[in-house]
Amino acid sequence: MAKEIGADRLGDFYVAGSKVRNRREWRGVQDTLYDYSRWLKIMMTLGKFMMKPRNVKAFFRYRWMANYLAVPMMVDRHTQGLRGEYLRMCHTEQDLIIDDVAKLLDNLFRGDRRIGNDTEFSKKVVLVDENEMTAVMMGFPMLKCLSRETPSTYVSVLLNQHAAEHYIDVAQEFGLAGDVCPMPEAEAGVSIDDDAPVLGACAIQCNTTCDGSLLGNGVISKRLELEDGVPVFQLAAPLRHREDDVQEYAAQEIRNAIAFVEKHTGVKWDWKEYFECAKRVNYATKCRQEWLDMNRTDYPQVFGSNLALYTETNYMAICGRVADFEKADRKLSKLAQQAYKKKMRAAKEYRHRAIVWGVQSHFYMDFLVWLLNCWGIVPLTDMLSMVSTKMIAEEDTPENREQAYYDMAWLTENMIMRNRTHGGYRVLLDELWQFTEEFNADMVILWEHICCKALDGMHGLFEDRARDLGINLVWVQHDLFDPRIINRQGVRDQINNYMRTVMREEPIDPSLEILPDEESW
Amino acid sequence: MKDLKHLIFFEDLLLEANNKLIQQARQEGKICVAYTCENTPEPLLNLEGTFSARLRAPRTGSIDVATYYLTSFLCEYSRALLERAIEGGFNFADCIVTPDGCSMMNRCVENMELLHTMGKDNDRFFFEYMEIPMKSDDNGLNLYKLQCENHILKPLKEHYGIDVSDAAIRKAVAEHNRVCELIRAIGEFRKGPQPRITGYEFCVFNLATYVAPHYLLVDMLEETLEELKTREPDEKSPFRARVVVVGSEVDDTDFIKLIEESGAYVCADRYCYGSLPGRDPIVLTDDEDALTQICRQYMQRGQCPRYMNTEKMLGRRQYVADLAKEYGADGIIYQQMKFCDPWAYEKMLGSHILREDYGYPVLAVDRPYAIAGSGQMRTRVQAFVESIEIKKIQGGASNG
Repeated sequence: MAKEIGADRLGDFYVAGSKVRNRREWRGVQDTLYDYSRWLKIMMTLGKFMMKPRNVKAFFRYRWMANYLAVPMMVDRHTQGLRGEYLRMCHTEQDLIIDDVAKLLDNLFRGDRRIGNDTEFSKKVVLVDENEMTAVMMGFPMLKCLSRETPSTYVSVLLNQHAAEHYIDVAQEFGLAGDVCPMPEAEAGVSIDDDAPVLGACAIQCNTTCDGSLLGNGVISKRLELEDGVPVFQLAAPLRHREDDVQEYAAQEIRNAIAFVEKHTGVKWDWKEYFECAKRVNYATKCRQEWLDMNRTDYPQVFGSNLALYTETNYMAICGRVADFEKADRKLSKLAQQAYKKKMRAAKEYRHRAIVWGVQSHFYMDFLVWLLNCWGIVPLTDMLSMVSTKMIAEEDTPENREQAYYDMAWLTENMIMRNRTHGGYRVLLDELWQFTEEFNADMVILWEHICCKALDGMHGLFEDRARDLGINLVWVQHDLFDPRIINRQGVRDQINNYMRTVMREEPIDPSLEILPDEESW
Repeated sequence: MKDLKHLIFFEDLLLEANNKLIQQARQEGKICVAYTCENTPEPLLNLEGTFSARLRAPRTGSIDVATYYLTSFLCEYSRALLERAIEGGFNFADCIVTPDGCSMMNRCVENMELLHTMGKDNDRFFFEYMEIPMKSDDNGLNLYKLQCENHILKPLKEHYGIDVSDAAIRKAVAEHNRVCELIRAIGEFRKGPQPRITGYEFCVFNLATYVAPHYLLVDMLEETLEELKTREPDEKSPFRARVVVVGSEVDDTDFIKLIEESGAYVCADRYCYGSLPGRDPIVLTDDEDALTQICRQYMQRGQCPRYMNTEKMLGRRQYVADLAKEYGADGIIYQQMKFCDPWAYEKMLGSHILREDYGYPVLAVDRPYAIAGSGQMRTRVQAFVESIEIKKIQGGASNG
């Protein structure tokens, strides 16, 4: 137990067969008090949420709600070993995300026909996909843009590694092949199981990341549109998003989506609000760029899961629509600058500089923390954080109002994951090696989500290029939402084996090499 | 039934990707445009001086090298094509055009390009990737047209000097339609209680029209059509049920043969490479340019599950139900190639909907690329046929 970074054997906190760890981490007086105060804040957020009877009712109606008991544990997983500015950055992000998800849940249950049944509220709700860029809602401040899949599947798996298994099984029992991506498969399972809140004036679906997500939408819309009577607009974002000759199509899809929302809600698009959001989008982009610039130096600051989880939420789900995230951006930048000036490091030893590429495992998002603490591999950035850096028009002029459709289309085309899984080999294969050079990385950790055809289809060429360039390429196979296929230790062992047999290294913290976390949340 | 005169010739044709008619056309100086997906408008690949060849890999053996590049999680069709390309089996092609129809096919062709598998001795060779619409609407039509211009017509003109004018396109459509009309007319003989052509025979003739130059097939197809008009059906049919086969890519005639050997007559073919709707003629009018009309008809009739708007999704199932009715099917076989995401979802929903909403017995199966020796598939089809017979005996209970 010590204040210093890396003084603890972090593996000793795990207890075989237990969902939780044996005790909280001692980080010195100041950091422990800070961490504890944030823990109390999370408990207050949860307590406030549970004060409402409708939310208690929802706990008993929806199977996936039980996963939310694991919220504090999720934060603990991501703060392992962190001290000082790093700890504060992590809490700034995670606490805000928790708050945002709590509001999302509260709103969903308020309008849900089975729970709160607030029909007037429901008329102001537009449902969106979990993995969907919400740019098209930037000019509708009077409407609530809610995703049912975010809390039912996406966040659930972050909280509890086993959360999606039931829904995957439901989909397969219904006849879906077992070789599709488990993310849209689980979302389809929720729909087949009729386990999603029913509300909304209309919904916008999108072909987000892959063929699976596109087709999974059909299962959901069958329930939503044909049975629940919620009109659905399918927003088709072009796949070859770097090509000039698809941009007009993409922009027209945005125009059509906005017209659809206006028609079904009676609410008009608000340009003033749109451009306010656009400013925040640009500010978030600027901050992210600054963080990535820092990560190119010897003193990376906002990296690993601190970068990945936050970018995913802020870039895509928020997309400039929530002012609190701008405050968080500012605070994170300030903390990062402080740490950078002090030449701080998040672990006691940095051995390798790595780009993490591919689609990361959702049931093991804290893997990046483990990489750093166990083997000294610094995850400088990851594929899902390497999103659009283009500044969008933010001044309200007649020309910019037209440009705005193209900007929203661009953001939608470049939503997280799809900006790499679609768009041809240049964005997935070629740009990886550019990033390894820019970030001075000597290693690529390549998540190989075994059901992601877009990624798998470049397997051999990744290997060929890595060999040509002399980069250490470490494959980490997983099945995204399903730890029954490859469990967390199976994921870790792929790194352990490479580091021992190829790199001939010993772990920095040997207690982390094998962890008894199969039953853990 | 008496053997059809050209059947063996057509069967032989299908044994090689680089078949003798492709070789003949190339010797005549024609440019071979290879493609991989039903969403590529075929008449645009068959302009004066060009002919199309949809890629397949008959007699596939080991696909180990392609599996290294694509992993074992991509469908065997994409792996078999890449393997064949690496082996040099597609060197007859002068260019390749592929829509970004599914991730696997896109990656397959990208690997072909990056591994320099084709066009080594041809500096005019090109790879083109197209965006194609995911919804059937005006916006989709504009995109389709633009993509065809930029990724088919323009490169053909620039690289090979092909005439891509409206008149040239109309001429190509007329020739395309002739083949379509012949195939559809031949396919009509699958209707009725005593069909004059088996599903397998039809599959052979139809498949050849995708992989060999049309102009070299027309005479033989005409002759076959004439032959069918007087062909005497067997007195006692060897089949016990009639089925529509629906689903993903099938270029393996042995699959259809296996189904028929198991007692189910394949009366209609709604799969990639099938004739429905792939061999629907394209109707052109004079009040609009030909390209727009072609794209509209491809978009509107397309039954690919990547079309994501609700009308299209509902329309796909209605289309299958309509075919089953028109061709007098007793049941439907939904098949998907293993690892095919689009058809995995469509098969799941379609099989439930056709069974529950339309009352058809449905068999849902997944399969490898080449299937001839699959005892497992044979057993499943035989069991399906028996279940249809039992239902008939019991008076048509329709719970599948």
